[in-house]
Parts: sequence; C-alpha cells; structure tokens
Amino acid sequence: MAVISRTLGKATGVGALWRNRQTLLTLVQRDLAVKYQRSVLGYFWSLIEPMGMAGIYYFVFGVLYNSGGKQVEGGAYPVFVVVGIFAWQWASSAMSESTRSLTSQASLITTMRVPREIFPVAKVVARFAEYAAGLPIIVVFALFYGASFSWTLLLLPVAILIQTALLVGISFILSSINVLMRDVDRFMRLAMRILFYAAPVVYPLSKVLNAESAPGWLKDLYMANPFVGIIQLHHSVWNSHELPGWPLFWYSTSISFALLFVGWALFRSLEARVLKEL
Amino acid sequence: MSKPIIEARDLGIRFVRSRKRNLKLRDMIIHRGGRQPSADYFWPLRNVSFGIGQGEAVGVIGSNGTGKSTLLRLISGALVPDEGSVHCRGKVAPLLQLSAGFSGDLTGRENIYMVAGMHGMTRKQIRDKFDEIVAFSEIEKFIDTPVTHYSSGMKVRLGFSVVTQLGHPILLVDEALAVGDKRFRNKCYQKMESMLAEGRTLFLVSHNEGDLKRFCTRGLFLDAGKLEVDGTLDEALDAYNVVTGA
Repeated sequence: MAVISRTLGKATGVGALWRNRQTLLTLVQRDLAVKYQRSVLGYFWSLIEPMGMAGIYYFVFGVLYNSGGKQVEGGAYPVFVVVGIFAWQWASSAMSESTRSLTSQASLITTMRVPREIFPVAKVVARFAEYAAGLPIIVVFALFYGASFSWTLLLLPVAILIQTALLVGISFILSSINVLMRDVDRFMRLAMRILFYAAPVVYPLSKVLNAESAPGWLKDLYMANPFVGIIQLHHSVWNSHELPGWPLFWYSTSISFALLFVGWALFRSLEARVLKEL
Repeated sequence: MSKPIIEARDLGIRFVRSRKRNLKLRDMIIHRGGRQPSADYFWPLRNVSFGIGQGEAVGVIGSNGTGKSTLLRLISGALVPDEGSVHCRGKVAPLLQLSAGFSGDLTGRENIYMVAGMHGMTRKQIRDKFDEIVAFSEIEKFIDTPVTHYSSGMKVRLGFSVVTQLGHPILLVDEALAVGDKRFRNKCYQKMESMLAEGRTLFLVSHNEGDLKRFCTRGLFLDAGKLEVDGTLDEALDAYNVVTGA
C-alpha cells in the first residue's frame, strides 16, 4: 500500500509513465483523430505536406541549381531529399507542437491525475506515427531510383531511437518553459526555420564541410547541432556515402540522451510552478 | 483501524501575489531556498491536516476564495504542495469541470472512448460499460454527433456518466451537482447515493446546504486558508453561518 500511495502522490517518473501508457496511447489517438477530423483526405495529409515540400526543394536544388554535376554522391537526389524532409518534418512538428502541449490542454491537466510528462511525450509519439506512415513512400522512392537495400537498413531503428530521445528531451524543456514564458512559442517558427537549414536535410553534409568560404568556427558551430548526426544517419540508411563517422555518431547520441535527462530533470523541477500557472 | 484513504499532513501551497514574477532562468532551475522575500507570496491554504477513512462522505464549506478548490486540486494531484503532503490510497474520480477533455470535433461516441481512456480504462472495459454510460447520459440519439453541437447540459451529462463509471474508490466533487435540469440532478443524486452505498469515499465541495446535508456526515470548514472546523457536518455548517452572519 505504501508503494501505491507514494507513486500516486508523486505521479511522476518512468514507472508512472509506463503505468499510464493507456492514457498516453489515448492522447496520441485523440491527437490524430482530431487532426484529421472533417478532412476528406485524412491521414494522407501527413504525406502530402512533406511530399510537397520535397517537390519544392527538388525543383530548387535538383533542377535550378543543378550545375551539371550530381547533388549527392552515391545516390539519387530525390531519395535524399524525401528521406531528409520526412525525418525533419517529424522533428519540427514534434518540437513546435509539444511547446504548446501543456498550455493548450490546461483544463485537462488541472482535472486529471496523470504524470504531466505524458502530454509532451504524446506529441512526439503522434508525430512519429505520421513519420512511420510515410516510410512506405520512402521505400517506393528508394526502389524507383535503385537505392541499395543493404545492412544500412538496420540504421533506421537506431536513427529513430536517437531522434526520439532528443525530441522528448527538447519537448520537456520547451513545454514547461513555455508555460512560464509564452515567448518560447513565438520563437519556435523562426527557430525551426533556422534549424532546418542548419542541418543536412536538403543538401549533403559534404557541401558544408567542403565550403571554402565558411570559417572554421562556423563549421564547428554547425557540427554542434545534434540533428546533424541524426539526419546523416537517416540519409545513410539508403546511401552509404552519407554514413556519419563514429565521432559524429557518438556526439549526436550522447547529446540526445543527455538532453533527455536534463530535460526530464528540468521538467520535474519546474512542475510545481508550472501547475500553479496553468 | 485501517489507514485513512485520503491523508493530508500540514498541507500548504503558496502562490505569487504580483504579476511581476522573477523569471531569471538561473532562479527557475535553482529556485529552492529561502532567499526570496516572503511578502510576494500568499498562502491560499496552509497547515491543513486531516485524514478521511474509506466510505466517509465529507463536505467542505467555506466562503469564496478560502481555498476549497485549491484543496480539491491538491487532492486530485493537479497541484503540488509547497509544504506538507497529501496522500490518496486509491484512484481518484474527479467530477470537476465535467466537460474538460472533450474534443468538440469528435463525436460523443469517440469522446467516451477518449475521456475514459485518458482516465486509464482499457478499450475492453469501455466497451463493456459503453451502453450503460450512454443510457445514463440520455444522449442515445446524438451519440454520433460531434460534441460541438451538444448543449452544455448534454456535455455535462456525458461527462458525469463517464467519470462515475470509472469505478475509482474516491470521488471528488466540485459543484458538479448544481448543473443539469431538475430531473437529471435527481438521477445524479441517486447515482451518488448508490456509489456511497458501495463504500466509495466522497469529498464534496459545495455552497448548497441541501446537497451537503443529503450526502455528508462529516464537515470541514475552511476560512482564510485554515482548517477551522473538522467535525460533524452540522458543526461545520454552524461555524460557516457564524462567519457569514446568516
């Protein structure tokens, strides 16, 4: 009995999150159901949007700025851009929506006894579900352009795991701070746009590393972004030329998991104040 | 003697009085510690201790702004106390803001699954209880209509039906009984009585003497954030009437 009362009293922690998986699952289902309610195409929208974006970047970088040579070594640019955009779409929508996950569901949070971590985590999971729905599209592109199906396919779950850790960590930080300072939400649009170009989503990493006009400190700053390694990992699933080196891989992995724990610690230390402000 | 099902010890919570909050990032991360001037804080609730046994029906009385709703939110776990602790030895069914959690775009049927699921019911449990929930809320005809088109009474009826089917041993009620028309209110009263007869614990916040006398045997009277009376309902009501001059 003492165990039950202690955990219920706290209602936080990994165990609590697992015990409330039913609630988490329902929140994810509700998120998806509400999003595609009253739209004819429904779930297809989660494919149409990134496909449209991929089309634009293909037009700009694959057609207009295609100065004769190949944009990407060891693979076709359409595959590259589709893989990058789908992975990025998950990241950016998860981050910007989880920022509002506490403020927009205040009435639910103030009447229910569930670990508050569930709300930002549910956003990351719901956006992942959309990403997973897009994987067949990536496979179709890979088949059509003759990308190699090799051991690198095993990197896909690795990339997903690291990206999940990073996104959950960031969503803890953004969602809790946004309750205390609504400025965060305002800033997100700009931040997402910057991050989009600050990671090798639509261009290969080699272009940055080989850019002679870029000073060394700028390249270092660029490489400090943990998304660089994660996006590279996504690309390398279909194109072994893009394999990140071990240093980059371990850097992104350790930063992602460090942010997960820092984010969780911050979330829990701010929790009491956040609840008063909701 | 079994342990109390709800136990509060020296419970206290403070809020910041002024809007000018100290939002330096440094202070947010290491904000514990008594450096802050205490003048900026007020305590809607402080030094509150009580224990409620299983099956008890407790009414909470007090003027507006004396911390009743804050107490409910603390018990339901939606606020974290700054002092002391509150423990519940059992799950809590919150009959607070009954329409909270409904998504207007979804139908009544979908919302039943969503809200009951968020309270921890599995799909199978919901399926078993579904007909009962719908029948009690009397919205059979509109079960596949989006909740946006429901009247506020319909939403509350649906909310009440879902939360009372959760089977949780502790019921927290905040004026929820005051809603709905007379006939539905009577139905809710009967439902509450039958749940009390099953041995559930009731924690009721109300200004309505009739409601309180109907259900509660014990009364807590709160005044200015302090628990002034913890005794029979009549004792608590008498103290309340002295303060309000009635």
